[in-house]
Amino acid sequence: MQKLSLAGLFHLDALALVMIGLVAFIGLCVASFASRYLQGDLARRRFFMRLAALSATVIVMVSADHLLLLLAAWGVSNLLLVQLMVHKRGWAAAASAGILAGRHFLLGLGFVAAAFGLLYAATGQVGIQAILSGPVAPAYGLPALILLLLGAMTQSGIWPFHRWLTSSLNSPTPVSAFMHAGLVNGGGYLLARFAPLYLEVPQILTAMFAAGLATALLGTAWKLMQQDVKRMLACSTMGQMGFMLAQCGLGLFPAAVAHLCWHGLFKAYLFLGSGGAVREKRLDLDYPPQLLPFFLALGCGVVGSYGFAVASHKSWLAADTTLVLVAAAFIAGSQFALPLLRKRPLAMLPVALLATGVSGLAYGASVRLVESLLGPAVPAQPQAINPLYLAGLVLLLSAWLAILFARRPGASTRLPGWLLGLYVRALNGSQPHPATVTAQRNHYNPG
Amino acid sequence: MQTQLKEKSYLELCPANDARPPNVGPSRLREAIEASWTAIAPFWPLQNLVAVNPLQGLEDLPFEEALFEAAVWFQQRDLPPSMDAVNRETIKWCQAFFDEGQATITMPLRDRGLYQAWRVLAPHDRLLHGGDAARRAWLAALPPQPEAAIAESLRKLDIPPAHQTRFMMLLLTTLPGWAAHIKYRTDWSASEPVHPHPVTHADYLAVRLAITCALWPEARDLLGWHARARQTEQRAAGAHQAIAQAELVYRESLLRSLAGRASIPAQHERAPRAQLVFCIDVRSEPFRRALESCGDYETFGFAGFFGVPVRVKDTVTGESHASCPVLLEPRHLVRESPACSPAGREQVQAGHLRLDLAKRLYQSTKYTLSAPFALVEAMGPVNGAWMALRCLAPVWAERLRDRISGLVKPVAAVASDISAIPVPDRCDYAETALRTMGLTKSFARLVLLCGHGSTTRNNAYATSLDCGACGGRHGATNARVLAAILNDPWVREDLIGRGIRIPGTTQFVAAEHDTTTDEVTVHAESLTNPGLQQILAQLRDDLETARASNSQRRAAELGFRGTQSDGAKHMFRRSRDWAQVRPEWGLARNAAFIAAPRELTRELDLEGRAFLHSYDWRQDPEGTALSLILTAPMVVAQWINAQYLFSTLDNVAFGSGSKVTKNITGKVGVMQGNASDLMHGLPLQSVCSGDGDPWHQPQRLLAIVRAPRDRVRDIVQRQPILRKLLGNGWVSLACIDPVDDQAWLLARDLLSWQEALA
Repeated sequence: MQKLSLAGLFHLDALALVMIGLVAFIGLCVASFASRYLQGDLARRRFFMRLAALSATVIVMVSADHLLLLLAAWGVSNLLLVQLMVHKRGWAAAASAGILAGRHFLLGLGFVAAAFGLLYAATGQVGIQAILSGPVAPAYGLPALILLLLGAMTQSGIWPFHRWLTSSLNSPTPVSAFMHAGLVNGGGYLLARFAPLYLEVPQILTAMFAAGLATALLGTAWKLMQQDVKRMLACSTMGQMGFMLAQCGLGLFPAAVAHLCWHGLFKAYLFLGSGGAVREKRLDLDYPPQLLPFFLALGCGVVGSYGFAVASHKSWLAADTTLVLVAAAFIAGSQFALPLLRKRPLAMLPVALLATGVSGLAYGASVRLVESLLGPAVPAQPQAINPLYLAGLVLLLSAWLAILFARRPGASTRLPGWLLGLYVRALNGSQPHPATVTAQRNHYNPG
Repeated sequence: MQTQLKEKSYLELCPANDARPPNVGPSRLREAIEASWTAIAPFWPLQNLVAVNPLQGLEDLPFEEALFEAAVWFQQRDLPPSMDAVNRETIKWCQAFFDEGQATITMPLRDRGLYQAWRVLAPHDRLLHGGDAARRAWLAALPPQPEAAIAESLRKLDIPPAHQTRFMMLLLTTLPGWAAHIKYRTDWSASEPVHPHPVTHADYLAVRLAITCALWPEARDLLGWHARARQTEQRAAGAHQAIAQAELVYRESLLRSLAGRASIPAQHERAPRAQLVFCIDVRSEPFRRALESCGDYETFGFAGFFGVPVRVKDTVTGESHASCPVLLEPRHLVRESPACSPAGREQVQAGHLRLDLAKRLYQSTKYTLSAPFALVEAMGPVNGAWMALRCLAPVWAERLRDRISGLVKPVAAVASDISAIPVPDRCDYAETALRTMGLTKSFARLVLLCGHGSTTRNNAYATSLDCGACGGRHGATNARVLAAILNDPWVREDLIGRGIRIPGTTQFVAAEHDTTTDEVTVHAESLTNPGLQQILAQLRDDLETARASNSQRRAAELGFRGTQSDGAKHMFRRSRDWAQVRPEWGLARNAAFIAAPRELTRELDLEGRAFLHSYDWRQDPEGTALSLILTAPMVVAQWINAQYLFSTLDNVAFGSGSKVTKNITGKVGVMQGNASDLMHGLPLQSVCSGDGDPWHQPQRLLAIVRAPRDRVRDIVQRQPILRKLLGNGWVSLACIDPVDDQAWLLARDLLSWQEALA
């Protein structure tokens, strides 16, 4: 057993600094928001104490090198999160949501603890950097990495561990904002931290990709079905976390960290602003699109994806897994161009090409910014395309086309029975856990 | 005695009840369905939150009894646990069906109506049939008519005919918020365009009953539970006592100060520097007082829709809304367009399209599969910076936004086109408005008609702070319409024939009072006369002074401690702050409705608690104006008063709980957390300064009229709505009789007057 020293406990590298920056920024915004939002709330003091403690423990977690310190910070921050989520104990549904999340977190903690135990058994090391620098015996290493992945999946609300996340909306709005930009990213952080080990086991990467992409599409599909703003945001987070996991599975860990950072800011903003949902007016996008604008939009998508590849220093058409990221940029670019080409497609084409190209560049630049901040702290290693990656790519594209060309409701009086069944199944699947619903109005208790 | 009372009201509530012989014919069932909805009050969607008494359905009962019934039907905290699953599934389907634009993949078949759509989907719902083949088959075999499904469900649940109304009522009152939303859709949205997703009373009950059958076959127990609740309910009496005590203290003090001013003779009649007409809204009173103290101004109170029942259409966006009290049907369409040259108008239109396109670009990438992953990465940096700015410097953020949106879409004043209002109607509106508020002579050169609206950010309840008389909207349009009417030479000509001579030098100008910041925006683009401009310049200065002093007082009420100049700044910041849960106090603490000339209340500090309607009994010998005032604006005030009262009394049952955990569903209403009943009523933060620390004082409206008391009593007895509200004690009526300058209180028998200050 090595001697404990402060230097041995922490490892402050670029990854830790990026995560600390993210947590501190969100923490500051949320605290400022909550200082007015919780005016008059009896649990206000308690809230701020916990928020401060949570920010501190997350900072310890991301900068810890000692396995036990990381584990302790992981456990304590999740406990604090549960307490923040419950806020008012007299409200049974909120307490149930806290218990549900707590159970998931405990399971996740168990996975991570077991993984750490195996890593220690394999290497005799308690420092992460020491573990990463030496070889890990596969007999211990493989199960350790699988357990670590399961722990990360629980934390990030990946299917089948998503239920706590989609049932977490009894929390005060600022807690949701902090959570969706903070602790759900714990899983991504953990994987990025152990990226060097994962990059040596392509099979696990492929599994990661599969679980990630499935969650990405499921979460996003659920998001599109939700009628309340907060559950929509929660399902969307689930989908985004899935995409982040899929990026890890592509071997592109720095891109995954970029995703979790920018998604964190995006989602925190949407949660804090969720009171304005009434004023957001949904505009008719005239789906399905006409064929001419659609094909022109595909051309714009190509330009956008090229801009993305250039600005993010990625190869545009390589036969490796970066292709999936480029495809995602292509889809987003095409989708972005569609409204521009809706009327007078040919006349608007130059504008659309320019706008999509510039957006692609900006998108690539934002990813590149995080990647260059991370530097060598988080390795990237695109994987060779295997059939599963290819299937994922096809799925990503066909899901998009399906939703784009599916007939809009209204003209839907003759939907086939299986589609109606699918709607109800998906609706039911995305419902919060029954115990976390305030089924009786007078069981709600704000005091 | 008490038991007898309860029994009587109970029978009244359930008209087709135990007393009648059982008869199960379809018309009997239809009666029972309608009767079961009587206890439900409507609840307006968040787009225009019109205040309403949540106990409107119980107003036929004396107040004390209604409190008891409310406690029994709405405030119970221990429903049988089996009800949970029934409620959860009902909430799920209501959320899906009543969505107004949140979901991208919407519930299929909604155009067929609630019951028809649900009936097709229900057999697919495992949470309803639990995989049980028999239950599934039962759901699949539900009859196509909702009434038949109701009959079938009631039979299956074994509810005896004599108890059917009560049972259905229970199914409505155990999820009262959604029932209230449906009541709005079925009974109160007639002036809106036909809804593409229809719903009827029978539709909802059919769905609710079928879900109950599927999940709780022994739901008959609900009747026993209800009977026990009636036996054990005790809280109503205590609540009534507290309310009555507060009313007594307030009434004596207010009537004493009013009676003290009653003998002061009216000022000699001469035109002041300017006259200003404000809405009766309680927030006008302190602002009027502040302005009056600045100079020679005469102010009036009048319903904020200025008596013109119109529908407003924005020609730039193409959107339209009714802008009048919900008790009225809009009769004319007023088109609003930018008040500038045709070229400028085109610029505004183009700017709107640009803004629209920007929103489309965002929505196109966000609301689909596969594309949002890139969107969040591309938008993250911008959203992060914008979030920090809005959190740390909300006012700067607002300035930045204004500047950018000004570049995209030029800002232009708005002009209202009243050509759709025929001249005879214009003349009628003009005369009614002037006579009702008692402004028929001594016109000043400048008369400002001042509507009102609020400015808040990120606020689901924003429209609850807007003008109730305009149906929960901003009131500038109506002010512009009446100003245009009163400036119309044809109208003025005609008014002379009706005995009202408006001098040629008098100009009516529209304005809007921002109740959050106390800014008054004057729409005086067409004002060219130098003399008038001079008056206006002075008035603008004085409005600024009034703003400073009124904002200071309001900021202090919201806990702000600072010097004179900071109050207005503080209120401005609140209005632009997206984290603010109490941007202003709204109509909290409202307590009285006073129809009297301003002399009676002038210089009295009414603490922003009184609706002030100008009324001069000397100009209304027939009592027509008073009758109108008491049956329209006073009733609207009572709706507001009751909403605040009950939201404070029990914020869970009648209010919507804390804003801290609110979750907007379907863009129509608020749920608490993951999912709950639709929380109708006002949020905790609108009526409490802290958890369990009410700011609003729950008390019923005290209406005070300056008119001969015999005339007042005659009006009350002629109007059913007044007989109901006053006779049942929902409102009390006092009179400062000009004959003896005494304060009199009308007894609940509506016959006798008692000396109010004995």
